[in-house]
Amino acid sequence: MTIDAVYLLQLTLNGIALGLLYALIAVGLSLIFGVMEIINFAHGELLMLGAFGMCFALPVMGLLYWPALIASILGVMLVGFAIYEVLLARLKPDEFERSILITLGLSIIIIHVMQYFFSATPRMVDTQFGFDGVEIGAIRITWTRVIGAGAALVAFAGLYLVLRHTQFGRAMRAIAQNREAALMVGIRPRVVARNAVVLAAGLCGLAGAAIAPIQNVTPYMGQFMIFKAFALVIIGGLGNVPGAVAAAVALGLIENWIGGFFEIVWQEAAVFVIMIAVLFLRPDGLFKRGGMRVG
Amino acid sequence: MTRPLPLAILGALAFAALPLVTASNYLVGVGISALIFTVAAAALNLIYGFTGLLSFAQLGFWGIGGYAAALTVVTFGGSYWMGLVYAGLLSGAVALAIGYPILRTNRHAFVISTLTFALLVALIARDWVDLTRGPLGIPNLPSPEAFGITFDSTHKYYAIAWAFTVAMLAFLYALCSSRIGRTLVAIKQNEPLVRAQGISPMPYKLAAFAISAAITGAAGGVFTFYLRIIDTSFLDFYYMQTFLIIVIIGGAGSFWGVILSGVVLSALPEALRFSADFRMIIYGVILVAAMFIMPTGVAGWVRERRLTSMREQLR
Repeated sequence: MTIDAVYLLQLTLNGIALGLLYALIAVGLSLIFGVMEIINFAHGELLMLGAFGMCFALPVMGLLYWPALIASILGVMLVGFAIYEVLLARLKPDEFERSILITLGLSIIIIHVMQYFFSATPRMVDTQFGFDGVEIGAIRITWTRVIGAGAALVAFAGLYLVLRHTQFGRAMRAIAQNREAALMVGIRPRVVARNAVVLAAGLCGLAGAAIAPIQNVTPYMGQFMIFKAFALVIIGGLGNVPGAVAAAVALGLIENWIGGFFEIVWQEAAVFVIMIAVLFLRPDGLFKRGGMRVG
Repeated sequence: MTRPLPLAILGALAFAALPLVTASNYLVGVGISALIFTVAAAALNLIYGFTGLLSFAQLGFWGIGGYAAALTVVTFGGSYWMGLVYAGLLSGAVALAIGYPILRTNRHAFVISTLTFALLVALIARDWVDLTRGPLGIPNLPSPEAFGITFDSTHKYYAIAWAFTVAMLAFLYALCSSRIGRTLVAIKQNEPLVRAQGISPMPYKLAAFAISAAITGAAGGVFTFYLRIIDTSFLDFYYMQTFLIIVIIGGAGSFWGVILSGVVLSALPEALRFSADFRMIIYGVILVAAMFIMPTGVAGWVRERRLTSMREQLR
C-alpha cells in the first residue's frame, strides 16, 4: 500500500482539530483535579449541555455563530457554578471516591433529564457557515472545524496567560502546589475551587459548542468523549495541564491516522492501549507531576 | 447481636421456594435479576467495600463474561456450563493482565483506568462486528441442559440462578471472613501499616480484583442466558450504576448489608415500574442523596446507632 500524501495530510489536519477539542475537555478535568483533587464525572455532560446550548441558541440568533457560541459558554459556566455551590462545595478534602460517585449521580440525572425532555434523537446543527470550507490544494476542511480548532488555540493561550500572570490564576496554582501554604498567605480554597470549576466548565462548554456543528448532538455524546478525556489525564499525569494538552493532541492525530489505515476497532482501542502502556512504564503519567504546572 | 448465618440460610431457602409459590413468569424473572445483581454487587463489594478500590471495570467483566458464555455456545459449539467456566476464567485473566499495571498507580488513577476499561469493552463489543455481531447482537441463545433436563422456562432457569448465587455468596463469605478478608480490610484502612507488618499488598489487591472479576464475569454469563440474547446494551452503564447503588445503599464493606440491599433494590425498580428514563433519574437522585445523607450506607448507619446507644448505656 502506498501512502497518499494528500490523504495523510488530510488525516493529520483533522487529527489536530479533533485533538484540540479533546484537549479542551482534558484540561478542564486536569484543572479541577489540580485544585480540588477530585474527578468530575459529569464533565462530559457539561460538553453535551454546551452542544445543546448551541442547538437552541443558533436558531434564535439567526444562525450567527459567535453570539451563539458565547451564549452557550456562559450557560455552561453558570451550570458549573451551580454544580460547585450545590454539590462539590460540600465535599471535604480527600474524598475522592465520594466525589466520583456524586458527580456520577449528577451525570445520570443530567443525561436522563435531557433525554426525557428533548428525546434521544440525534440533532443536526446548522450554522451561518453551513458546509462551506477552506480548500488548500486537494485538501478541504469545513469552516466549523477550522474555527473550532482556532477557538481552542485562543482558549489555551488565554488560559496560559490567566494561570501565569493574574492573581486569579496564581491562586489556583498556589492551591494546587501546597494547600496549607496557600491558606497561610490568605488564599481562600473555596473561592479558588469555585473559580477552577467555572473556568473548566467554560472550556468544556466551548468544546461542546464547537463540536455541535461537526457531530450529531445527542444526550449521550458527552459519555463517548469523556472516557477518552479520562484516559488522557492519566496519560498526561493527573493534574498536569500542559501534559493533558500534549496527550490530547497526540491522541487526536494517532486516532485519525489509525482510523485512516486500519479497522475502526483499533481507532477506538488506541487510547486504552496507550494508557496501559504508559502506566506500565511510568505509573505517574508521561509528564511527571510536581504541583500544577502551566509552562 | 444476632447471628446472620442461620438467618441467611433461612433466607436462601425462602428464595429457593419462590418458583413454587408463584406461577408468574414475571415475578420469577425479577427473582433471577435480584439474585444475579446481588452476586455482582457482592463481587464489587469485595474490591470496593473490603479492599477500598473503587472499580468501574466490573461492567467490563460483566460484558466479557456475557459475551464469552454466549460465544462459547453459539460460535464455538461448547456447552452452557463450559461457557460459564470460560466466562469466569477469561474475566479473571483479563483482570490479572490489566490489574497489574493499574494497581501500581495511586487510587485516583486506578478509578479512572478501570472506568476507561469498562467503556473500552463496550466499544469493542460494538465495533468488533465479526466476533460480537455488533449492535445486532446474538439472539436465541439455547437453553442449558444437565442430567437430561432442559432448563427451558423461567421457572427452571431460576434453579440455576439460585444455585449459582448461593455458591458464589458462600465462597465470598468464606473469603471475606478469612484471614485474607481481614488483610484486605487492613489494606483499605492503612496500607503503610500493612507493609510494615511484612505483608505485600500487591498480591492481595490483584487477587481481590481477579476474583471479583471472575465472579462478575460468571454472573454476566448466567444473566445473558436468562435474557436469551446478548447485544451491546448488555454493556450499558445502567448495570454498573445498579451494582454501585446496591453496594452504597447497603453499606460498602458490610457483607450482609450489601446482600440485603441487593435483594431489596433489584425488586424495587420493578415494583415502581416507571419509564426507563424516569427510573434512571431516580437512581441518580438516590445516589447523590445517599452520598450526602448516609455515606456509609444502611449498614454503617445501623452500626453508628448501635454504638451511640451502647455509649449511652455505659454512661
